[in-house]
Amino acid sequence: MQPYQEEYISNLRDIAERSVQRKQEELSFEEFCWEIARNERQLERTVRRNMELLKEGLFPVLDHLYEADSEQLAELLEFAGMLMNPREELDVGLFCQIHRALLSVARFRRDRRAMIRELYWLGIGRNSMNNKLVGLESSKSEEYIHRMRLCFTEAAAYLKYFDEIEDAETRGYILRARANMALGQYKSVAERIRIIKRTLQIMQDKEYQEKAPELPWDRYIYQTHQLMAASISHSKGRTMTPQDITDIMESVHIVLDRRMRETAERGEKPPVRTAFSNCAIEYYCGLDTLDGLLTKMERLTDTVDASDYSTDGMYGTISIPAFYCQYLQENPEKIPEREGYIEELYHRIVSYVENFPGEGKESLFYYLRQLSLTFIETSNSLSYGDFIIRLQELFTPEIFVHSYVVGKAAVEFCGIIAEEQPGFFDDIGELRRLQEPEKKRTAILDYAMKCGQLHDVGKMNFISLYKTPRQWFEEEYEMAHLHTMIGAAWLEMRESTRHYAMVAMGHHCWYDGSRGYPETYRRLECPYRQMVDVIGLLDWLDNVTASSRRLYTGKERTFDLAVKEAVSLEGRRFSPILTAMLRDGEIAERLARAFAQGRQEAYLRLYREGR
Amino acid sequence: MENMESGSFRESKGYIVVEQAPDGSRHILYADKAACTVTRLAAEQLQGADPSGVTAELAVERVKLDSQHELWILEPSGGRQQHVAELERMNSALEAALKSAESANRAKSSFLSSMSHDIRTPMNAIVGMTSIGLSHIDEKPRVQDCLLKIRTASTHLMSLVNDVLDMSRIDSGRMKLNEEAFSLAELIHDIAVMMRPQAVQKKQELQIEIGRIYEESLIGDSLRLRQILVNIIGNAVKYTMDEGAIHVHFSQRRTEPAVQEEGGGVVWLDFVCEDNGIGMSREFLERIFIPFERVSNAVTSKIEGTGLGMAIVKNLIDQMGGRITVESREGEGSRFRVELPLLSAPQGKQPAELPAGQTVLVAESWSGRIGQIMDYLQEGGLIPVHVQSGMDAVTWLTEVQYEGCMPCAMLLGQELTDMTVLELASHVRQLAGRDFPILLVSEQDWAHIEYRAVRAGVSAFVPCPLFKSRLLGTLAGLLGSGGGEEAAAGGQDDFSRLHVLLVEDNEMNQEIAMELLSMIGVQVEVTDNGALAVEAFQASEEGHFDLIFMDVQMPVMNGYEATSNIRRLQRGDAQSVWIVAMTANAFVEDVRLSKEAGMNEHCSKPIDPERLQEILRGRLAVQERSAGKQPQPGDFGDKEAGRGSTGP
Repeated sequence: MQPYQEEYISNLRDIAERSVQRKQEELSFEEFCWEIARNERQLERTVRRNMELLKEGLFPVLDHLYEADSEQLAELLEFAGMLMNPREELDVGLFCQIHRALLSVARFRRDRRAMIRELYWLGIGRNSMNNKLVGLESSKSEEYIHRMRLCFTEAAAYLKYFDEIEDAETRGYILRARANMALGQYKSVAERIRIIKRTLQIMQDKEYQEKAPELPWDRYIYQTHQLMAASISHSKGRTMTPQDITDIMESVHIVLDRRMRETAERGEKPPVRTAFSNCAIEYYCGLDTLDGLLTKMERLTDTVDASDYSTDGMYGTISIPAFYCQYLQENPEKIPEREGYIEELYHRIVSYVENFPGEGKESLFYYLRQLSLTFIETSNSLSYGDFIIRLQELFTPEIFVHSYVVGKAAVEFCGIIAEEQPGFFDDIGELRRLQEPEKKRTAILDYAMKCGQLHDVGKMNFISLYKTPRQWFEEEYEMAHLHTMIGAAWLEMRESTRHYAMVAMGHHCWYDGSRGYPETYRRLECPYRQMVDVIGLLDWLDNVTASSRRLYTGKERTFDLAVKEAVSLEGRRFSPILTAMLRDGEIAERLARAFAQGRQEAYLRLYREGR
Repeated sequence: MENMESGSFRESKGYIVVEQAPDGSRHILYADKAACTVTRLAAEQLQGADPSGVTAELAVERVKLDSQHELWILEPSGGRQQHVAELERMNSALEAALKSAESANRAKSSFLSSMSHDIRTPMNAIVGMTSIGLSHIDEKPRVQDCLLKIRTASTHLMSLVNDVLDMSRIDSGRMKLNEEAFSLAELIHDIAVMMRPQAVQKKQELQIEIGRIYEESLIGDSLRLRQILVNIIGNAVKYTMDEGAIHVHFSQRRTEPAVQEEGGGVVWLDFVCEDNGIGMSREFLERIFIPFERVSNAVTSKIEGTGLGMAIVKNLIDQMGGRITVESREGEGSRFRVELPLLSAPQGKQPAELPAGQTVLVAESWSGRIGQIMDYLQEGGLIPVHVQSGMDAVTWLTEVQYEGCMPCAMLLGQELTDMTVLELASHVRQLAGRDFPILLVSEQDWAHIEYRAVRAGVSAFVPCPLFKSRLLGTLAGLLGSGGGEEAAAGGQDDFSRLHVLLVEDNEMNQEIAMELLSMIGVQVEVTDNGALAVEAFQASEEGHFDLIFMDVQMPVMNGYEATSNIRRLQRGDAQSVWIVAMTANAFVEDVRLSKEAGMNEHCSKPIDPERLQEILRGRLAVQERSAGKQPQPGDFGDKEAGRGSTGP
């Protein structure tokens, strides 16, 4: 690798380690704040350095890639392999950028081996990007899945010429691409199963195996069975034939059997994941009822040691309850009799998370994100909104601080608005119906705070993107835009958070509708638009003034400059009613104070949390 | 009137003079002509005859003249009753006429009343919205909202006035048909473009299908024909609930079944419009073609209309020598069938010549259209290969590319089983290269999808409903065998109109870009650095360069500086020339910097031939629009300007 590549990789690892080391037990609050500022400065330096490295080292190479020699191409390939591999995912965006460029060169040179390899790796990169879109049910997420799938499909199409392609490495790429065609969601589960079945037939075909004995066929077959076994949750679907279900069951048994053998060889007890798979198989085979399955799941999760912070412990404490709630969501008539148990489950999980030691927190977050997708609200349970805010506080402190600050500023701003125009938010039915002025004011301010705290919940899907220590590429920028739609989809799913959904959806849209995103937000049709306007303005002000946030956009302004710019965008980006208030120096000052105090309070909460 | 009646009365009576003898017997002394008629006897027979005998069946009025003579007035038997009956008939005819006049008067009064209501409603909206707009003149969205509402109200008002004028022309016999040659394909396409947005707004499924078509070039009054079709389909949209279905079918036949042989060149156009809307009662069906009649119930009270449309349609169809029939059931829907005789026009264009025996990949999963596409391609001498999914398309193309037998084009239809057609287009453009023709057959308005389709790599567009001539013509245009459709309909782009300045210091990159640009006919001039680029631009005639591809990192003067210098020049095209940054620096900040320097677009390196063509196509589209077409949402300029300035 080139020195710039080594330095870039080392910087990424350094940043990743820093985000894990968040011990501040011995620090005073002032020291804690200083530490945050120091980390931000360090991060900023790293970002600048990383960009220098890419601009001076990588981009000139890409600039002249068509004339690059094989050594340069190999170095690039190696560099990309360090950015993302099965062990670590340091920079998926750059990984895709490099492989896309290498694919262009391969196509240009009609280098078939390179084309197949690059199609495979670009597919892998896109798969990793797709995984960030959890919870987004829309054509937008499908678009990303299809881009990935077409890369694998094209590479896999060379299977027909397996004999003519002589090197084992390329043959391996073709076979892996063939298996990976099944990744991601399919419109028809039956179609996905058909593809996996065909892949299994190919992998088990002796003729293919004899042609390339050096390939790890067992691993390929096992991994394909894993893909098939993952279809189990769909096997109750109407589109499947009995043969499909039999095929899935067979794969599940193969996978389970191997897991049991492996744990027995290590002298360990069977993991809880395997035990759950067994229960699920019995249910899907028709040997057990849903009630039976739910009871077994309760037993399984109840027996997990509350201090087991291993992967299996997290699976038993968080994932099984997540599946449990998913089954209940699909069969809501079974919820009432289990309300008490669900509430106890959530309390147990919160206590588990609060006692979780520092290391492994990143994986814990992914388990909790799964839980958040199937979260069930009951009369005495934690509200979904509070659960999400708690997740932000624990796992995405940057999003928590920003959201808290925007919430606090919104309380200040809406307080002034409510004083001058008590009916300003009356398009919102819940607020209009309140007659008593003080009650109405309190309700407006509570609503403003929660809107601030929840407006960016969709960003939790993109934490690795927001932690990328360099500026984004266009594709990443476009993907980050989806946080609005994902956030709205999450909030829309639960009754208690439904009225925050439009704020998450519309806070990046322009007031006059001419720009911004997403296009699905229609300001004039939205009853919450006044609050969307408020949060949109305050979100922007914090984004362009907070030093921690300029890294990704390359923009930074002082608060006064930002206010001036907001005013200059009056009637276009921002509501003229709000910018008219910003013109009042006193109001602008009060807002600046609210931002600063909000930040201090948010840090204090993080500090207490850390202790 | 009274005189006429008395005159007729007198003429029907006969007179005889009767003389009484001293023995008391009577005989007829004199009989007039009318008496002969009434008694049906000759005057000779009457004279001297016994008056009682010959007048037995007649009504007689006797008038004593003197002691021996009497004047008998004779009337035919029942004549009085007949007279009374006649009078009654006339009276009832008069009454009916009066009723009809009163009814017409009432209808006109009701029309005037509803017209004044109908006119007042949009007028109120226009006046009101204008006031609101004026009082919020600084709030762009509010003003925009008002203007949109004013536009809707004005359009409605205009259609009201047009209907009334048409009806008045028909009433006074001044409606004349203007017969001229027209293209049925264009007419139907225009109608589809006009009606689809209305159906989309109500989430209705509007299917427009084409059956057997013998002649696409016809002679007739296309304006009035359009009026008939729009009226009927428009009513279907209006009177069908949200999410309902409207099915429209066009076909032709050579002869009228009722008539054995038509005159040469006559083609009957059959048009059927079927909906599952609110339908009509039997009573209303009888009055449907009477002016000012409208279905009235709670559902329709909110639907705007004058009640003149169907009357106008009927009159126009009658004038064209056609027929209209309506079937309907209340609550179930309606079916309108129109049959019109039209003359076929002489062929203007030669049918497209296509390379016979070549394969075309057809990617379409919608069964409603695939048969038609396959038939048309086969009739054009091509061999269509059909796939239903994007994955199958890519697999097949990869295999045939490996075997060196690529199809001559790919045709994308409405839908695929696994992904959108544009997602497939985007990948195939990379896989198959920049020259591979990709056609999109779509029901959508090209103006609405152009931005996304061109970016995805679509080379040409064929609108639906699908006509064979259009499909084969566009294909022929793309394959370079002549007879193709014009660029407006999505024909292959003519890049030879573009003059490009390529600013690039690296020789290899210069060579590649030159090759890529020259191969598609673009006229390219090259300079090695920013300073030379500014000089070359200054030295060129105003408007000479359409586009500048500007490298960023260059010796002497970098791309940003060169762009700023060009933008500062005092000449007409200094602002308008399209400048595209070509650099591997792909951070959003770099994109922003290039925009701040005055560049319009950003193109990453290594140069992707497809991206290069995409930019050129975008530039052509902008030129075409500025040459006459309206700008569309999704213009390159709009989209690009929207990026880079929003926060994360």
